[in-house]
Amino acid sequence: MSKPLRAIDWGSIAPLRLRARALADGVYAGAHRSFRRGPGVEFGGHREYVPGDDLRWLDHRALLRHDKLLVREFETETDRGLRIIVDASASMAFRGDKAPASKFAFAALLAAALARIALASGDPVGLEWVGGASVRPLPAMSGREAFERVVGALETAATGGDLRLDATALDQAFGAIARRAKRGTIVVLLSDLIDLPDEALDRFAALGLGGRVLLAVQILDPDELLFPFQGTVRLRALEGGAVVETDADTTRERYLAKLADIADEWSKKLTHHGGQFVRASTADDPAEIVRRAVSAVAGRFTHGVDE
Amino acid sequence: MTFAYAAALAVALLVAAPFVAHLLQRRRADERDFPPARLVPPSQPVARRRRHIDDRALYAVRTAAVLALALLGATPFVRCSSLALGRDGGASFALAIVLDDSLSMLTEVDQETRWDRAVRAASELVEGARDGDAVGVVLAGAPPRIALAPTTDLAAARGIIGSLSPSHRATDLEGALQLAQSLVHGLPQKDRRMVLLSDLADGRSDGSPLGESSEVPLWIPLAELAEPSANCAVLRADRQRDRATVRVACFPAGESRGRAIEVSAGDKVVGRASMPDVAGGIDVGVELASATGDLIARLTGKDAIRADDAAPVLATTGELTIAIVADPAGARLVTGGAPPVEQALAALELDIRLRPIPLLPDRPEDLAGYAGMVIEDPPGFTPEGRRSLAAWTDRGGVVLLALGPHAPLAPLGANFEPLVPGAIAWGPSPSAGLDDKASVLFGSAAAGLLDFRPRGRATIDLSALGNAEVSARWKDGAPWLIERPLGRGFVFVLTVPTSPEESDMALRPAFLMLLDRMVNATRTRNGAYRITVGEAWAFEGAKSLEVIGPEKNKLRVAEEPTRKVVIPDRIGIYEIALDHDKLTRVVAASEKEVDGRPRRVSPSTRSSSLGDTRARVDLSPYLAIVLLALLVGELALRLRARRTLPLETERAAPAPAP
Repeated sequence: MSKPLRAIDWGSIAPLRLRARALADGVYAGAHRSFRRGPGVEFGGHREYVPGDDLRWLDHRALLRHDKLLVREFETETDRGLRIIVDASASMAFRGDKAPASKFAFAALLAAALARIALASGDPVGLEWVGGASVRPLPAMSGREAFERVVGALETAATGGDLRLDATALDQAFGAIARRAKRGTIVVLLSDLIDLPDEALDRFAALGLGGRVLLAVQILDPDELLFPFQGTVRLRALEGGAVVETDADTTRERYLAKLADIADEWSKKLTHHGGQFVRASTADDPAEIVRRAVSAVAGRFTHGVDE
Repeated sequence: MTFAYAAALAVALLVAAPFVAHLLQRRRADERDFPPARLVPPSQPVARRRRHIDDRALYAVRTAAVLALALLGATPFVRCSSLALGRDGGASFALAIVLDDSLSMLTEVDQETRWDRAVRAASELVEGARDGDAVGVVLAGAPPRIALAPTTDLAAARGIIGSLSPSHRATDLEGALQLAQSLVHGLPQKDRRMVLLSDLADGRSDGSPLGESSEVPLWIPLAELAEPSANCAVLRADRQRDRATVRVACFPAGESRGRAIEVSAGDKVVGRASMPDVAGGIDVGVELASATGDLIARLTGKDAIRADDAAPVLATTGELTIAIVADPAGARLVTGGAPPVEQALAALELDIRLRPIPLLPDRPEDLAGYAGMVIEDPPGFTPEGRRSLAAWTDRGGVVLLALGPHAPLAPLGANFEPLVPGAIAWGPSPSAGLDDKASVLFGSAAAGLLDFRPRGRATIDLSALGNAEVSARWKDGAPWLIERPLGRGFVFVLTVPTSPEESDMALRPAFLMLLDRMVNATRTRNGAYRITVGEAWAFEGAKSLEVIGPEKNKLRVAEEPTRKVVIPDRIGIYEIALDHDKLTRVVAASEKEVDGRPRRVSPSTRSSSLGDTRARVDLSPYLAIVLLALLVGELALRLRARRTLPLETERAAPAPAP
């Protein structure tokens, strides 16, 4: 059964373009350097050798001086693409009483901000969708107009679709990245991770096998994080058609435990595949979330775990 | 049904309101979008579980409250099928309720007996009485009795009516109405009324209509009780050797068709005869085969009243047996036939059995079968005869001794003890006729004795008689009739014989009255072996008396100065402990009571101005009390729910994380 399309509740996040630009500028502070480190022209530091490293970057002087196998790292300026996957399914249209905007609006703001930071570094940015309506995937691109095109795609999108009933929902986004994204590409998933198909985590983790860097940002509404209801409530899911009547006071703890289990499962799986997991509330400061996202990806490269 | 009545009752439709409210309350749970709803475990909310338990009680209370409210609104128009007197003004009433407690009232109507319906109606009448009304109750079972003298204490009237029970008596409606009329006649209340609650079956269906000439208005409600009923009854059964004579009665004709009389000893049927298809009473002979033990005669089949379908078969005659001891040669008439005293007793039709015997039996056991004895001109008694007479009279025997010319001719060793101690002389009467005081005994019949001239009379030494009383005297003061108790028995001593050879006394009305007086004394002294229900057993001189009824209940004994009286009101066998003797007596149904045809009544007795069976009854006070009780009940339930809420919430809350 098709779900009704919902207009985006931008709340206090609109206008997206200005908010994203200000956010990105505040986070990046004019640094036009790529997140990635690896083979490049500018020395970026040492790290211990691990089997499989390219022997060309073995620092022989350090070996003679310290009797340790160290690998030289360089900051690179090439092939540092950012591919953003935005969940536009029906559940992302939810906005609770205490939230400044819907989950999709918050995801769009993060996506635009990350895109601007990447573009400012000269990295190409691509946009993929999971679910949604009137959505336009964007191939990786750079340049002045890329940010406008990303923002334009985000602003014209509408939420819709039921990922729990649509088995092919992941194919378009994840398939495109698996086919086209090169090694070293940063893949960011912005979703509530609630109604994704059961195989979503495995398929997303599989994208990291090609030397790509994974980051999943779980975006939840404050109501979803706190379950602030009291007494008897009837809760209707926006996807899957579930309707549950429950006594909120007695079932709150069990709900929060299940929600924590989902986050824990994603976090463990992504960590195992060299990825990162960040949880965000739409009530949080988006700048802080963007910082945590950038730090997560930068830390990943700092540690040199590049698969 | 008026519009207001219908509108008030329409409020009862709101009985569905609590249920609808309950459904609305159930749907009041917040429903909202919540994307991770599938992660929320469903549960039956605590509040709703609690509401489930209490809601049922609350729902019942509220439903009842709505119904009570609807009825409360409609009560001024509610008509209850209840008897109530018609009151033209506001004056108080003097009301005499005549309740028929006869056997025919045991007939069932609409799964309740006529008696129960009548008692219920009497209760309704008392409930409808107001302060200042006087209520009396008369029972119409024969003989009529006053159950409650008129009183303004309505609570007492309710108590008396509630304690009444039906009997197997015959019906005496006219007597009961006369009694009821006398009850209310002298009361200060201006409005007086009699209410007859009866099936009107008094065995006189062709009698004059009831209420026709009554001074006090008579109201006869409950016309449904007067439906004719079909009934057969066994009135009495007597056994003579291998044959039983069973008296049965049936009304109407045809009721006995296909039915039979079975005589059984225990479970064994020892005789059977088909019922003749006739209406009324009839004697049916039943041949008995090897019958031993106590026999019961029963009617097969069913009819309106089961209580009268069986009667014990008496081995000895159930009637009062009186022996006539007379010399056949001297007492007989010239024209032939029985002695005049025997013929006179038979002519009185007193339901007695006469046994002429030539000589006084010498053995006491030979006298046991007789309740009374008439001894005509005996020449004294032998010692053996005297002992027998003494023992017999001591147990209640009644004897009428008519002294005659043979009195002074007693042989050696013979005298008239214990009946008349002392010497007895015989000679011509110096005066003719009795004195005026005889009228006290015989009434107008005493006039026939004023010129009574016998050939001779006996003279008795009164000083030897002790407690004897001279009931009638000759004009010269000599005793004509002497009465004296002897043991539990009684002795009448007449100083002239009944033989027409000596006098014409047997032809005078006063002689019949004397015999009737003697038979009545016999009945009261002995307690007749079989009486009709409603008649009394009176035991003169009895020191102790205990009567056990057919239902093994002990009957109340009325203590009178010289006797004890018991009035049985149920048919069946009674066990009597009289002094040191054990007696068995039988109470039989009245033949009149079997006739179920109702007595005619005057049309005025059915007038709706006297009363109404569809009177308005204001139930408002009772319904208001019920409504208040329901509201209190709801408050209690709510308080209980409030007290239990914290406990249940605490129980339902998850344990804190360690």
